[in-house]
Formats: sequence, C-alpha cells, structure tokens
Amino acid sequence: MPSLPADQMEGTHALSAPVIREGVRSPQPRRPWGSIAMFLCPALFFYFAFIIYPVLVTFFNSFHILRQDLGLTYQFVGLQHFKEILGSDEVFWKAAGNSLTWGIVAPIIDMPLALTLALVLHAKVPFARFFRTVWFTPLLMSYPVVGVIWLWVYNYDWGMANLVLRAIGLGRYAEAWLANPVTALPALILVTTWMFTGFHMVILLTALHTIPQEYIEAAWVDGADRWQRTFHIIIPLLRPTLVNLAILDFIGKMKQFALVWVMTRGGPMRGTETVATYVIKRAFEWRTLDLGYPSAIAVIWFVIIFGLSYGLTRFLQRREAMEF
Amino acid sequence: MRVKITRTILMLPVLAYTAFSAGPYLWTAVMSLRTTDEIYRSHYGLPIPAHWGKFYTAWTEFGYATYFRNSTIVSVVAVCLITVVGAMAAFGFARRRYAFRLREPLFLMIFLSVMFPPQIMILSLFQILIKYRLFNTLPGLILVYVATELPITIYLLRAFFAQIPQELEEAARIDGCTDWTMFWRVMFPIALPAVATTFILDFIYFWNEFLYAVVFITNQEIRTLPLAIQFLVSDQYQDIGMLATGLMIATLPILVMYLFLSEWFVKGMTAGAIKG
Repeated sequence: MPSLPADQMEGTHALSAPVIREGVRSPQPRRPWGSIAMFLCPALFFYFAFIIYPVLVTFFNSFHILRQDLGLTYQFVGLQHFKEILGSDEVFWKAAGNSLTWGIVAPIIDMPLALTLALVLHAKVPFARFFRTVWFTPLLMSYPVVGVIWLWVYNYDWGMANLVLRAIGLGRYAEAWLANPVTALPALILVTTWMFTGFHMVILLTALHTIPQEYIEAAWVDGADRWQRTFHIIIPLLRPTLVNLAILDFIGKMKQFALVWVMTRGGPMRGTETVATYVIKRAFEWRTLDLGYPSAIAVIWFVIIFGLSYGLTRFLQRREAMEF
Repeated sequence: MRVKITRTILMLPVLAYTAFSAGPYLWTAVMSLRTTDEIYRSHYGLPIPAHWGKFYTAWTEFGYATYFRNSTIVSVVAVCLITVVGAMAAFGFARRRYAFRLREPLFLMIFLSVMFPPQIMILSLFQILIKYRLFNTLPGLILVYVATELPITIYLLRAFFAQIPQELEEAARIDGCTDWTMFWRVMFPIALPAVATTFILDFIYFWNEFLYAVVFITNQEIRTLPLAIQFLVSDQYQDIGMLATGLMIATLPILVMYLFLSEWFVKGMTAGAIKG
C-alpha cells in the first residue's frame, strides 16, 4: 500500500522536527558570529530565562520544603515529597485517574466524530465551507467563555441539555450534570469535544484532499463500492494523521486545567480534579503558600507527559514505517 | 434520484452537528440582548426588543472597558514582540550561513519544549516574577506569554525561512545587503504569509490565555478578559443577562475577524496543532 509523501502530512506529526537540507556548497570561510548573536540572542534570553531556568528551579524545589508558614526557607528533604505523593496522596491518584480518563476517552469520542464529519463534507455536501467555518468557531473562544456558556447548558432547570432530553421524552434522565460526581467528568469531556472536533475535522479534511484521485479511481475501476473505498482505501491512508491527532488530543487533555477551574473547581467530591488543578490548588489554596510539594507533583506529571508523548510518537512512527 | 437520497442522508449528521456546535453560542448571543428579568421569565425567548444598550452598560459600569484594554495591551504588545524575536531566531536557525556546531541540538531542545506542561514552570515563574518585581504586572505577564509561545513560533517560521532559495540571499548580498538589512528588507517581507499564520495563532492564544493570568495577576485593575469572566461568574452568578453581554464583548473581536479572514484563521490554528 502506498503511503502519502511526508510533506503532505506536515503540521500533524507530533514529534518530528524535520531536518532541513541545504544545498551542498563550498564551506563558508568564517562564521558571522556577530549576526548569529544578533538573531538568536533575544529568543535565547526568553527561552533560558522563562522556560529552562524555571524548569530547573522546579526540579530543585521538588526536593525541598518551601512553605510560607515556615518562612519560605529551603529545607532539603530529598525524595520525601515523591514518596508521599506516590505512596499516600489519595487526591493525587484521584486527579491522575481523572486526567488519564479524560486523555483516553476524549480521542475515542473525538476521532470517529471528526472523521465522520470530514468524510461527509468531503462527499460534496452543499455549503461545505459554511459548515466547516461554523464547526471550527468554538476553538477560537477562551476556556472561561466556553465554561460559562456550558455552565448554562448544564443548568438543571433551564439548561439546553435537559431541555433537549425533555423535548425528546427522556425527561427522566434530566440531571444536574455538574453536581453529580458520576456525570461531572463526562459532562466536561463533552465540552472539550465541542471545542475541538471542528479543529480535528479540518485537519482530516486537509489530509483527505491530499489523497491522489488515482487511488480512488483505481479502486472504483476494480469495482469497489463507496463503503469499500472509504474503509479500505481512504481511512487506511488517513491513519498517520488520525494517530497523530489522537496523540495530540491525549496530551492536550492530560494538561487540562482552565475548563475545570471555571466550571467545577475540581468538584463535586474531586470528581473532576485534574493533576493540573491539584498542583495550583496545593500551591496557592491549601493551608499556606507551598512551592515544594506541588513542584514534586509537577515534576512527576512532567516526566509522565513528556515520556508518553515522546515514547508514543516514536513507537507509532516506527510502526508506520514498518507497515508502509 | 439516488444521489438526492444519499445527499439527504448525509445532511442529517451535518445539520445535527451544526445545531450542537452553534446552538450554545447563539443562545448566549440572544441572551446578551435581553435583560436578566426577561431571561428568567423565559430562557429561550427572542430578543424583542433588543437591548443594545446593555453593551454600553457592561462597558462602562461593569469594568469591561478596563478588561478589554488590558487584554488588548497584553495581546498586541506580546504578539509584536514575539513576531520580531521569533522571526529573527527562526531566520538564524534556518539559514546555512549562520550554522554553528551546537545550533541543531539547541533547536531540538527548543522544539521539544513545545510539549512541556505549564505546571513544570509556573510555580518557579511565580517565585522569579516576585523576585524581579514583575509579579502582578502586565509586563511580567507579557514576558511569560512571549516565552511560552516562542518555541512553536520559531519552529513554524524556521520551516519557511529554510525554503527560501540560497540564490536570493546571494543576490541580495551582492547588492550590498548586510545580515541585518537582508533580514528586514528581503527575508521578512517574503516570509509575511508565514508570519501572518503565527501572528494569528499567537494573538488568539494571548487573547484567550487563562492559566498564567490566574496565577500571576491578582490585582483587579489589570485583569484580562478571561480572568475577569472567571471572577464575574462567581460574583454575579445571578445576573445572566449581563454576563452574556460580557461573553460577547470578550469573543466578538476574534469572531468578527474570523468572519472576514476565516481561511487565515484556520491555517493559523491548524499550524499550531503540534502544540497539543
């Protein structure tokens, strides 16, 4: 099976920094160090002062007690925070479970939905551009705006969600969606689906447009009907894009903070607590300002997210390479 | 005939999803033109008569003028700064003339940081901003914003600068261009389509950013719009009508631009896809 040229999939590969090839020419006699510094230094200042240095400080802090009520002085405790988090911090495990659930469930819902919509629009539905424009819109709003709108949608008495249920005769399933620990997390996951499906759809649509028409025609000549062409030609060709989108969706949801902060603050009964909200709460809203223990949580989560994104991408890309 | 039936069947999911996608926002837009009393009488009534004056009230009496100004300052300054700094760095990372031994590892490091979760930086940034008296100031927030979007900006622009043919650079040099004038007079203008993409991506990110704002800004006077909305929803939960008006004020600038430049917006946002 032929694979798409790599450059047509550009922008959707999660972890592939493309190697830039330059023409082979005679080597330059000397390097223009002044110009190099002029171009790179401003960016490197920002990068090292506001990204690399803070990351290192967070790692350093995670081995110390650093609390306001103890005078914010550094007290070395080694791996004590890590032992406590992994060994006995039930809130952390609850939050990690929620984040992981969000990360796994979201792509499972988002991908088939986005794929269906992309295939339908690709099948020459009228006003396709209009629909694409509308579906993409939610992504352009901030999380607090989205959060407030959906607080209203989920209102028990007059929200749209219960309105629809009552209208189609399922009124007995009407629910105070965000007040019930069982339904709160699924309710929030649906909000991110609302935000991101249009975006995933657009990327899949772009990938669909790059499939050479000859493949489809060849299958048609061989007598494949519309379903066979979709499932045996088009979807396999979209697989690299789908895999990359799913990984990015997974990682994005593992970092979810703002929607929870605006809509539920992690409640009810920590039903929607994510690791991101727990870190911020633990640092700024616990008994006292604490920059040690939450830093250790941040380090653990950093290692997990970074390791997963790096590992997943490498693993899946290698499999792609072997299959095609 | 058969084609027609297929079309109709295909339109069903399309229309259903459109209702799901547009419904909540349209509902909010309608409520933004109705008073809270009217809304409590009927939540799905039409805005007759439309209370356009609510936008004026929100702007003057509920502080949206201040929040809008803060968001505008932060987004415009940050996006200009990041475009200049990011484009220069991208150029330096892309062209063969500026290659040095550690350049590729350095670039790979910057690229990998696209995937850092913000929590790994935010607590120590809090410490650092306090130390340098940048905590609770808009300049502090702007510096953090520029730094966090730089990796993706450099990554996207570098790919574009690398495609510009070597001959052009040589021709410009023969015409007497220095590195500095070459970048600003020749390369940057050529890169404008790519720059527009990152400009839009960064602007939307800055306009909507919430996490850093909520941790680094505690003074009400300098709240940005997303931050203000979070506070207004807890302080004035009952006043749905006015909140809806506020949501419109916060979203309309972006959505109106999107209406006219939708292709560019879609391009900009999808280019940032690797950020996840």
